[in-house]
Amino acid sequence: MSNAKRLYETTFIVNASLDDPQVDAVIGRVQETVSKNAGAVTAVNKWGRKRLAYTINKKTNGFYVNMEFEAPGLVLGQLERMFQLDEMVLRYLTIVLDRRALKARAAAAAAVPPPVPAEAAPVTTREPLFKEPDDQKKSS
Amino acid sequence: MNARRPRRDKENQIPRKKRTCRFCDAKDIYIDYKDEKRLQRFVTEQGKIIPKRITGTCARHQRQLVQAIKRARHLALLPFVSDTIR
Repeated sequence: MSNAKRLYETTFIVNASLDDPQVDAVIGRVQETVSKNAGAVTAVNKWGRKRLAYTINKKTNGFYVNMEFEAPGLVLGQLERMFQLDEMVLRYLTIVLDRRALKARAAAAAAVPPPVPAEAAPVTTREPLFKEPDDQKKSS
Repeated sequence: MNARRPRRDKENQIPRKKRTCRFCDAKDIYIDYKDEKRLQRFVTEQGKIIPKRITGTCARHQRQLVQAIKRARHLALLPFVSDTIR
């Protein structure tokens, strides 16, 4: 198997009835799984509690977490297993960031400079990548 | 009596606006599954994906759109069906 690393992005929904520290514990476990398997988490983006478009396990709300990491493909199996065993994770989706996505991300990052680059923390949080041009039009 | 409607032959047809793919027009847009607001415009009130013959999206971008909508559905960002209207 090749050990080439790729950039992945995973989004998962944590049970929103948990307290914030418990949610952080779940996120910590995911990060640990990635870093244990020779991966590196590059960004964690907490979207917070959001209403689900449909009920999942009789729940109408969920805590969305979006994470980017660079890792060899072997990590994905571990991560998937972890997500499935964890009852607090309602849904997860992992995708490979392709060239188009990276380009769009670079453009978005150039347009919106990150607020304060946190040097102490290895993991940076970022704003949502997309902006709604129509929303701005409506408000003006 | 009402006047006879003028005949429309090729010369005096109302010119129809050519629809263009809005993602081809704005090249820097990346169709992202996280961008639920943008995706919502390509979905009916029921939650069905609108065909490209109606929206005018080109085939390549429709494929990307469909993938993004399906990903968003999986993450409950978009509904599979919404039957709020009875």
